[in-house]
Amino acid sequence: MGLFDEQITAVRRFIDEAEDAGRLRRLDSPAAEPWPSGSVLVLEEDTALELGNPSVGSLSMLVWAAEGEARDGAVSLVGPDLAEASGAGLPFAQVVIAAGDFPNEYDSYRDLRDAVYDTRLKGLSVRAMPSKQVLWCRVSRQAADAGFSIGHLGAALLESLRDVPGVTAAEALFITSSQEDISRLSGAAAGARRLVDAMMKMYQENNFDCETCEYQDVCETVMDLKQIRKKLTDGKAVPG
Amino acid sequence: MILAVCGKGGVGKTTVSAIGAKALAASGVKALIVDADPAAGLAMALGIEPKRTLNDVRKAIIEEVKAGRRDERDLAVSVDYLVAEALTERDNLAFLSIGRPEDVGCYCKVNVILKDAIEMLGGMFGATLIDAEAGIEQVNRKVMGAVDYVLLVSDTSAKAVRVAETIRDVSGRMIPDAGAGLLVNRVREPAEADRVESNTSLEVIGRVPEDDTVREFDAGQKSFFDLPECPASIAVEGTLTAAGFLS
Repeated sequence: MGLFDEQITAVRRFIDEAEDAGRLRRLDSPAAEPWPSGSVLVLEEDTALELGNPSVGSLSMLVWAAEGEARDGAVSLVGPDLAEASGAGLPFAQVVIAAGDFPNEYDSYRDLRDAVYDTRLKGLSVRAMPSKQVLWCRVSRQAADAGFSIGHLGAALLESLRDVPGVTAAEALFITSSQEDISRLSGAAAGARRLVDAMMKMYQENNFDCETCEYQDVCETVMDLKQIRKKLTDGKAVPG
Repeated sequence: MILAVCGKGGVGKTTVSAIGAKALAASGVKALIVDADPAAGLAMALGIEPKRTLNDVRKAIIEEVKAGRRDERDLAVSVDYLVAEALTERDNLAFLSIGRPEDVGCYCKVNVILKDAIEMLGGMFGATLIDAEAGIEQVNRKVMGAVDYVLLVSDTSAKAVRVAETIRDVSGRMIPDAGAGLLVNRVREPAEADRVESNTSLEVIGRVPEDDTVREFDAGQKSFFDLPECPASIAVEGTLTAAGFLS
């Protein structure tokens, strides 16, 4: 059992259904050359394409699991790639699954989160609001003209994740098709955020009074949270 | 380079800032324009309607802090997002309005995160122009710690020149490495500016004539982006060039 089993199952179901419907593309072997890092300021005037503008749909989800639970290197896309976009913007969801050995969940969460936010690719500005699980990106005209694609973003993201201690595999799913498709994962994303919030509360506040805790419901149903609680109350882990 | 336009209320700081913003847009430099005056006059002068202000961002972040379970990195990432959302963009310029601060308690952590976010944002642009609040309050609060040049604006009145000198004294202590120069605004006769120059220790780097075109734009609330070339705009651009802000 893992902390995000329910959420990962929902993601797998989405991927399988999209694949069965012929709507899923595998971008596992992206561009031969990694995309260079560089400036992350992209003003409106320089923007070729906006991804995840708050008005069109946006979702960011980060979960982790035990070793063997992620298809290492898999980058999947449901919807048009950047060069195929017909307008100036696309809805955007980015779902990341990292697998490995994470003995300290709090430290691991922070490391994984930093890896996701700090890709810093030339011509791509990425802004996120973790509490709302939204991600808002701009692709510059220069990057678009040079062929920047979801494959490049996925490859950079996975490379960044592989540098995180304990990570042995990572995969990413991107959705650019519609707000409706994105909303099919919004429940799973909200569940993941609630689990992370509950875990962070345990580590940050060291308060284990379940009677007054707003996360009592998730702690009672998710075995891994119970184990984290036990580990902390037994004094076996110290917040990093 | 970060340039702050400072001075007594009513001397024409916002007009100078608006002409500076237009000049930056024409130069093609990616610039951040900060309306740090709670009266938000620069937004009006440029015909911009900000959807959100930095104070809205501050309130949103305070709500995040109150909700708990957000570490500093989460908050910093969120501030970056919310500040980006608060930017109004036009002609290679990004405009940010500070808004009217409200007393919502002491949230030093939030203020530090906001200050860091603005400094980081400013560092991504080729130039940052700040239309400061009237008087010395913002300089006193070290709001302008990263400023490279303080452009002091005065009209020809002795009172306005004294305020400019006080701002220079304070900014000289707060930001000793920053340059400073005085722009004498609304000059009707050269003798008026000569008198100011002979009675102040400040370096006068520009004289801007009273200009009917500028008065008409002010009175008609027309966007300064549409201001045609006129004696005042030429003089302001010359002053900003002398300050090393425009090339």
